[in-house]
Amino acid sequence: MTIALSTRGLTKDYGDRPALLPLDLEVPQGQHVALVGHNGSGKTTLLRMAAGLLDPSAGEVEVMGHGSGTVAARRSLSWLADTPTFYDDLSLGEHLEYVARLHGVVGWQDRADELLEKLQLTHRRDDIPTTFSRGLRQKASIALGLVRPFDVLLVDEPFVGLDASGKSAFLALLDDAAMAGATLLVATHELAFVHRVTRLLALRDGELVYDGPPSEVDVNTLVLHT
Amino acid sequence: MSSGQATTGALALAEMRRRRTRHRLGALDWFEVAYRVYLFGIFGGGTVLWISSSVNDATVAAGTLADVGRHGPAVLGLLAALAFSAGLRGGSHGGPLALEAADVTHVMLAPIDRRHALMRPSVQRVRSALSTGVGAGAVAGQLAGRRLPGSLVAWAAGGALYGATVALLWVGAALVAHTTRLPRWLATAVGLAVVAWQGAAVAWHVPGPADTAGSLGLWGWRQHPMDLTATVVAVAAVVAGILMLGRISVDALARRSSLVAQLRFAVTMQDLRTVILLRRQLNQEHTRHRPWLRLGGGGAQRMGFTHSLWRRGWFGLLRFPLPRILRMTALAVAVGVLQAAAAKGTTPALVGAALAAFVLGLEVMEPLSQEVDQADRADGLPLERGELLMRHLAAPAVALAPFAVIAGLAAVVSLGAEYIAATAILAYPTVLAGAAGAVVSIVRDAPDPYSPVNQQAFVPPEMAGFTTTLRLVWPILVSTLGVCAVLLPRAAARTGGSVEAASVRGAVGEVLFIVAVAWWVRLRDRVRRSVRAFMAEGRSYTAAQRRQTSGRTT
Repeated sequence: MTIALSTRGLTKDYGDRPALLPLDLEVPQGQHVALVGHNGSGKTTLLRMAAGLLDPSAGEVEVMGHGSGTVAARRSLSWLADTPTFYDDLSLGEHLEYVARLHGVVGWQDRADELLEKLQLTHRRDDIPTTFSRGLRQKASIALGLVRPFDVLLVDEPFVGLDASGKSAFLALLDDAAMAGATLLVATHELAFVHRVTRLLALRDGELVYDGPPSEVDVNTLVLHT
Repeated sequence: MSSGQATTGALALAEMRRRRTRHRLGALDWFEVAYRVYLFGIFGGGTVLWISSSVNDATVAAGTLADVGRHGPAVLGLLAALAFSAGLRGGSHGGPLALEAADVTHVMLAPIDRRHALMRPSVQRVRSALSTGVGAGAVAGQLAGRRLPGSLVAWAAGGALYGATVALLWVGAALVAHTTRLPRWLATAVGLAVVAWQGAAVAWHVPGPADTAGSLGLWGWRQHPMDLTATVVAVAAVVAGILMLGRISVDALARRSSLVAQLRFAVTMQDLRTVILLRRQLNQEHTRHRPWLRLGGGGAQRMGFTHSLWRRGWFGLLRFPLPRILRMTALAVAVGVLQAAAAKGTTPALVGAALAAFVLGLEVMEPLSQEVDQADRADGLPLERGELLMRHLAAPAVALAPFAVIAGLAAVVSLGAEYIAATAILAYPTVLAGAAGAVVSIVRDAPDPYSPVNQQAFVPPEMAGFTTTLRLVWPILVSTLGVCAVLLPRAAARTGGSVEAASVRGAVGEVLFIVAVAWWVRLRDRVRRSVRAFMAEGRSYTAAQRRQTSGRTT
C-alpha cells in the first residue's frame, strides 16, 4: 500500500499559541478524507504545511514519500486554497495555460475546455478572474487546481461561495479525480461531502480527536460541535 | 521530475512573464508616465539642485577638514553597519524578496527550480536597492562637495559608489540571512555587535568593521583603493545570496505576499504612513502582549474624555516592541546629529533632521493613527472629531520627551559641552515641532465626513500629479519648518550674539508652531465645514440668479 500523505510529530505553534499539536498520520493512496473542526482548530495549518506553504515548528510531512515542498512533492500535490489568488493582468484562459504549462502538461487545452465547461465558466475564459464574484473566483480556482496532474489533492473550504450547481459540479469533479486514483483531503463543514468520504478526521484546538469512518460517529454532532 | 518537464515549466514561466510585461506596457498611459517623469524631474532633481545651489554654506576650515578625513570613514561606516544589521534582521524575518500572492501559489508550488523562478525578483530587488542607494548617495555627495575640496561631479560619483555599497550590503546581508535561515536572535546579536563595534570606532577612534565602506563616501576628495574591498564584500554577499535562492522559505514568501499588494498601492499613492505601517508588518513587528508597565485602574470617577484618551494613548505606547524603541532611539540620535551639523554650518542637514523627526513622529503617533484608521468608531463618540484627535496628541507628546533628551545628548556630543544650555532649551520643542509633520500626515488621511464623495476624483488630470506630489511633500515641509529654529542660535554665534537668548527665541517660535498645528487638528473639520457651507451658499445664489436672468429673457 502506497502512503500518499504522512506526518510524523507534525507540530505548529505561533509563539506561545499552539496551532497543531504533534500529529502522526498516514493517508493511503486513493483514500478520500474529510477534515473537520471549528474555526482555529488547525485544519488550514495542517493543509498548508502539507502543501509546503508553512514551515512546521517540529516534525515532518511527506507527500508520496517525498518531503513536502520538494520538487517531487510539488509535482504530486495540488493545493486549492480557501482564498483564491490570481494575477490581475491574466485572463482565466491565460491562467489555465500558465499553470498547466508550469506543470509540463501537454495538450492542456482539451483539459481546460472540459473544466471550464463543467464549471460553467466557458463564457468567462477571456475575463480577468480578479474581477469575478466570490463564487466565480472559487470556480476559477478549482479549474486551476485540476488542470494539472496530481496524486494528492488538498482542498481548504472549497464550498464557500459556491451556488448549488457549482457545488454539484465540484463534487462531480472530485468523483472524477477519485476514479482516477487521486487521494483527496478536504477541509470542510459541508455535510454533503463528509457523508461521501471513507475517512473522517476531526481536529479540536490543534488536537486530533477523531480518526475513523464517518459511519461510526454522529457526523452532524462532530461537524457542528467539534 | 524529468528534465523535460522542468524545461517546459521554466519556458512557460519565462514566456508568461514576457506576456505579462507586454500586458502591463500595453495598459500604460504613456502621456501619464511622461507627465510623472516630468514632475519628478522638476520637483525631485530640480528642487534638490536648486536647494543645494541656493545654500551658500562656507567651505570648511582646515582643522575641520582634517577631522572629516580622520573620523568621516567611521561615521559614514556607521550607516553601512546599520544597513548590514537591518539586512540581517530583515532576512531573518523573511525579507528581502516579496512576491505576488499568485506567484507563491502557482509558481512556488509548481515543480520547477525555485532558484530559477526567484532569479528575476531577486535581480529586481537588487536593482531597486542599488538605484535608491546610488541616487541618495549622489545627492548627499554633491551636497558635501559644496563644503569640502573636490569637484561636485567627483563628490556625486563618490557618494553614488558609497550609496551603492551600502545598498548592496543591505540586500546581500538580507539574502544570505534568509537563505541560510539565520535564527532571529543570532541575526539581531550579530547586527548589534557590528553596529556597536562601529559605534565604538566613532566614539573612541578604534578601527571599525565598516570603515572601508565609510571611506568610500569621501572618494570625492581622496581615494584609497583598499576601500573597494567593502564593495567587493557587498557584491560577494549578493552573489552568495542569489546562489542559495533555492533555499528560500516559501512560508515567508506566502506571509509577505499578502502585504505586498497593499504596500505597492501605498507607494503608488505616496502614502508614507501606510508604507511604514506595512513595512512593520512585513518585518513581523508586533506589539507586545504584555506592556512594559501596567497602568493603574485609573479611578472610575476621573474617567472623562481627556483622561480616557490619555490612558488609551499610554496603553498603546507601553506595548511598543523593543525593535521599534531602538529604531526610534536611532532616529532621535539622527535628529540630534543632523541638527548639530546644521548648527555647524551644513544647512541642508536640516532636511535630514526633518525627515528623521517626521518618521519618529509617525512612530510615536500610533494612538492617533489608530483612531484615524478606525474612523467609524470615532464618529460614534459624542465628541467632535477635531477635539478627539487633538487630545490624542498628549500622550505621544510626553512620550517624545526621552527621545528629545537622546537627540539633545547626540547634539551635545557633536557640538561640544559649551552648547549644553542651548541644546537643553531647543531639544524638546525641536523634536515636537519636527514630529508635527507626522501629525499633519496622519490627520490629513482621516476620511472627510463632510464630503460625500472623494474630492480627488474631481481634480483634473493636469492637476492630479501636482496634488499627489504636494500630498507627499507638504508634511515633510511642515517638519522642516519645525526643525529650523537651530538657525537662530547659529546666526547669533556668527554675529557674536547670545546663543542662549537666540535659543529661547527659537524655542518660543517652535512652541507657537506646535500650538498652531494642534489648533489646526482641532479646527480642521470645522473650517472645512464652514468653507463648504459658504461654497454651497454661493452656488445656490448663482443658480438662483441664473434662473432669474433666464426667466427675464424668456
